[in-house]
This record gives sequence, C-alpha cells and structure tokens, in this order.
Amino acid sequence: MRRRRLARLPLVAAASAALLLTACGNGLLSEDKAGDSSSGPILLGMLAPMSGSSAAIGPYMKNGAQLAVTEINAKGGVAGRKLELRVEDDACDAKTATAGANKLVTQGVKVSVGGYCSGATLPTLPIFAKADVPMLIPAANSNELVNQHLPNVFLLNGTGTQQADAALAYLTKIQSARVAVMDDNTSYSKDIADLTAERLKQAGGPELAGRDSVTPGESDYSANVTAVLKTKPDTIYWTGYFQEGGLIIRQLRQAGYQGKILVADGSVDAKLIEIAGAKSAQGVLATMTPTPETIESAKGWIQSYKATFNSDPGPYSTQSYDAVRVAAEAIRAAGSTDGKAVDKALEALKDFPTFAGPLTFTKDHTLSRGGFLILKVSDGHFVLEDSLQ
Amino acid sequence: MTQLIWNGIFVGAFYALVALGYSMVYGIIKLLNFAHGDIYMVGAFAGFAMIGLLGSVSAAATLPVLLVVLVAAMLLSGAGGLLLERVAYRPLRGSPRLSVLITAVGASFALEYGMRLVAGPNPRVYGLRLEGSSVELLGARVSMQQVALVVVAVALMIALQYLVMRTRTGRAMRAIAEDSTASLLMGINVNAVISRTFFIGSALAGAAGVMAGAYYGKIDFLMGFVIGLKAFTAAVIGGIGNIKGAMLGGLTLGLLESLGTGWLGGQWRDVFAFGFLIVFLVVRPTGILGERVTERV
Repeated sequence: MRRRRLARLPLVAAASAALLLTACGNGLLSEDKAGDSSSGPILLGMLAPMSGSSAAIGPYMKNGAQLAVTEINAKGGVAGRKLELRVEDDACDAKTATAGANKLVTQGVKVSVGGYCSGATLPTLPIFAKADVPMLIPAANSNELVNQHLPNVFLLNGTGTQQADAALAYLTKIQSARVAVMDDNTSYSKDIADLTAERLKQAGGPELAGRDSVTPGESDYSANVTAVLKTKPDTIYWTGYFQEGGLIIRQLRQAGYQGKILVADGSVDAKLIEIAGAKSAQGVLATMTPTPETIESAKGWIQSYKATFNSDPGPYSTQSYDAVRVAAEAIRAAGSTDGKAVDKALEALKDFPTFAGPLTFTKDHTLSRGGFLILKVSDGHFVLEDSLQ
Repeated sequence: MTQLIWNGIFVGAFYALVALGYSMVYGIIKLLNFAHGDIYMVGAFAGFAMIGLLGSVSAAATLPVLLVVLVAAMLLSGAGGLLLERVAYRPLRGSPRLSVLITAVGASFALEYGMRLVAGPNPRVYGLRLEGSSVELLGARVSMQQVALVVVAVALMIALQYLVMRTRTGRAMRAIAEDSTASLLMGINVNAVISRTFFIGSALAGAAGVMAGAYYGKIDFLMGFVIGLKAFTAAVIGGIGNIKGAMLGGLTLGLLESLGTGWLGGQWRDVFAFGFLIVFLVVRPTGILGERVTERV
C-alpha cells in the first residue's frame, strides 16, 4: 500500500507542476493583453510597513499615495486610463517584503511607489528590476539602494549621505565639540551613522567622541548608555528607529546626561516622545526631510488630507503623494506604461514641482538637493527648528 | 565600573524572575517551556489593560496603584500559564520530549501573534510610569525606582523559596521532580501540582513584565522573545531545574552582559551573552549549581 502511494508521488508532483505552469502562463498572458488593450486601470504598487516595528508609518504612506491617485483620477486619469493603488505589507522585514514584491509584480503593477525601511526595500530591487517596473522610492534612503545603479530605481527622499551632511552642517553651526554616534545595526541606520562618523573624523569642526551600536528589540540599553557617556559627548546622534530611540533617550536622561540629543528621520514619530516621556524628550533635535507641517505650501493639502482620511498627515505622506504624481507624469510623458520608456521619461523629468521643491533627478537617480531640515521637540510635538538654508 | 555592576544587577533581577519559571517547569516535568518569555509579554499587556481600566487614579499614588496592578497582572498571567499547560502540554504528557518542545515553540508563536491580533502591532506606552530621583552610590547612579523594582523582585524570590521549601505544595513539587510515578502512587495529585507550578512560574514572569512596562515604558507583542532566550540562558548558566541556580544565573548573565558591553561595545552584547551559553554547555553543562541537580524543582 505504502509503496503504491509513493510510486504515485512523482506523478502527482508532475501534474501539479504542469497545473502551476499553465496557471502562470495564463496569468502572464492575460496581463499582457490588459497591457496591450490600453484600457482598464494602470496599477501602481506600494510596499509599506502596515505591521511590525514601523507599522505606524504605513497608513500615512498609503493615504498620501491614495490622495494623489484620487485627484489624478478625478481629472481624467493618465492618458485616458484611471490609476489604481495596490498596497502590500512589508512589515519592515526582508522576507515579507520579497513576498509582497513578487505578489505586486504578478498582479501586473506598472510602477512601484513604495519603500520605507531600507533593509526591507533592498531585496525587492532585483524583483522589480527583472520585471522592468520603475521604482519611485518615497522614504527609504540608504545609499545601497542607488549604489547598484539599477536603471529603474529612483529615490524621492534625500540619501544617507545628504542626511549625514545635514547633521554635520547643523552640528558645526551649533558649535558642538564632541559628538557620539549611535546606531541600531540596521542597513538604514548604520549607513547614516558610518557616514556621519567619517565626516566627524575629518579635521576641523566637531570631533567624534564615541561610536556604539545597539541590538534592536530589547528594553534595557543602560549598558550602551554607560559606554557612550564614558566618552563625554556634548551631543549624541541616534540614527535608528523610534522604538529604541525613545528608550535610549529616556535612559540617557535617567543616567544624568544633560547634553543635546539629535535623532535621524527614522525616529521622527509621535511615539518617540510617548516612549521617552514628554520630560525626557523635551528639546530633542532631529534631522528630517520635510513633513507636511514644515512645508509652507502644504496648508491646503493638509486640509484635503484631513477631510478625506479624518486624521492628520504623518511623515512620508507628502513624499508618497509626490511619488504617485511623478509616476503619473512619467507615464504621460512616455506615452506608455512600458517600464523602460517610463525610466527614460523619469530621467528626462525637469523641474517637476513637488513639496520638496522642483524635482530633477541626478545621474545617480537621487534628488539634486536633499532638503533636510532640523526639527525640535517642543511640548510633545516636533516643530521646525532650523531649515538649514 | 560600579555603574556597570549596578546595571548588571538590575537587568539580572529581571532575567532571574523570568528564569525561575523556566527552571521550575524544567525541574518538575523536563519541559523547556519556550512560550515562557511570551507569558512575560502577556503579563505586561495584562498590566497595561489594568492601568487602562483604573484610568483616572491620581498620579500621587503611583506606587500603591502599581502594586495592585502587579498582583492583578500576576493572577492573569498565572491563569494564562495554567491554560497554556492545559491546552498545549498536558495532552502531550508522556509523548516524546521532542514533540513537547515543538509544541512549546508553536505555543510561543500563537501567543505572540494572538496578542498582535488583540492589541495591534504598534508598541504601547504604559500610562503609569515610575518616576523618582537618583542618588550617587559608590560612584554609580542608582535611581529609587530601580531600587524599588529590585526589592520587589527579591521579595518575590524569597516568597518562592519559602513556598518550595516549607509548604505542602512545595514538598509535592520536589517529590514529583524526584519521581512522578512514585508520587502518584503515594497519593499526590500530580496534574494539580504541575498546574500549580505553571501558575507560579507564569505569575513571576508576569510580574517581571509589568515591572518592565512601568520602568521602560514601552511594550510590544514581540517583547517576550529576546528575554525568553536570555532567561533560558540564565537558567542554563545557573543550572537548569535549580531555583537558586536560576537566580544566580540571572544575576551572572546580567553582569556578564553589562561588563561585556563596557569592554567590547554594545554590538557585542548578545554575541557575548550567547557565546557564554555555548561555553557553559561545553565546559559545564550542568551549570554553576549543577551538582545539586537531584533537588531540582
């Protein structure tokens, strides 16, 4: 009995493989037809963290992008076709993101407008590249994303290099003498920390006091705090995400640290202040790309966002909104949804108006200027401290 | 240096509280309860819910309110441990140890992602935070809330020691650890005693969860994972199955981590801690207090 069942196994396997193949074939075929017929909606895909450590950000990105899709559709869509947004959760995790990217590609998305955690976005690059899907990454900003010089990858956020430059410019401006840099060992965080430390080591300006990395996901960072404080810094630059950031800020203050604390854009979230406690978080500085509240021209936009989603727009909602608009503009200019043609159109884009200013991509597919600002926590909110102009 | 030692003792007290549950359950039925760290998480969330219910208590009474919350959360997480044992472990009693181990891993994931469904994926912030001034002691900065938490942890450990050594339940536990079949023949209700062991171990982990919530402020559904591994390491270092060993192991691990971080840098903390686990397993698999293994509970 057992033997016969085993003998049938290869047969079953072959049959199911054949089934799968035909199913795939059908899928691809029908998708091609949809692409050719130039009717039906143009699909835009977005990977964003809807769960996991950065789950707070996903809805902001989704809503921002959806707002642009609705507006464009109300004006008749792109080249006579409507846009449609498909969102997949990447949970800020490489494995989930890869699965999500594959799903979006099989659904036939024409442009990807997502990407928040660099560590989760990096492994999706080859998937979208292989399917010739242009990527307009609104939030993730590790240099690794553009270092591979893939023709389909474009950053709508300042890079780690630009953020490190902004941090250094501000530290020099406030005449900080000794700066300690802490990261959380993630791709995004280490990138900014390494670049900042490199700049601090160069002669002149602030000096690098210490460098420490923590393991994310724990509660007690007192050992790290003690190690960093031993280097006697007057400013500490934390480049990781807000969960650990909040704990570290609180534990630094409890350990009696009086100096300045600067955090990077991954820590700019209301939860950071909640976790640290309003007292400890008071006066914390941040390097950040423009948020809706810090953009003068976004007043009307904030109102329509509030009216649509009944909540305040959070970080990266403007960038996601712009990503969809840039994608629509590129498809319009290319006159087709063919990936290669859209890539060309994106490269040729000149001074397209976005919230971060007129947009022209550099030859590395990054923003010509990062547009980083300095925010400061005041009475439980991040407010603009210095626009670094 | 004294600062590093104090940090180590403080973190070690948490590890010790969680490690006790590991060690007791292992001592009595030879089960590595990998869902134990998640009971710690359940305790933290139970405390969070309690604080939400109590809502508008005045901030002046922080410590008494926290003690009430602590006791309530201990009862809840203890009940959680009972349920876990009844649903996941008792049906498998007598089956190969590997099956029970796999069930434990499954129970761990079920608790984590079950809590995610209930409480959502976002981290939560405790509404009640321990605040207090700090004093300089031999060059180390020691805050009052840290002292309070260490005192609570030590009190719980003393209570446990009394329970195991001086009460009927404790004597039954020790008897089952020696030989459960013989205990059954002598008229001990083995299932009831094992349930009680789970209740006590889980209540201690729940207490540690509430204390972590009140001190650090942030709780999330995955918070039990790392501390579960650390508590397991602490239990092995001290001699798994041995109550005093679990306490000693917790403190040793806390100190090792703290001094290791001070010496090598923060990114080496876990490498150092788990490296020591391997060293112990190779050099002295019975742990520091391993020779007293016959008296395990």
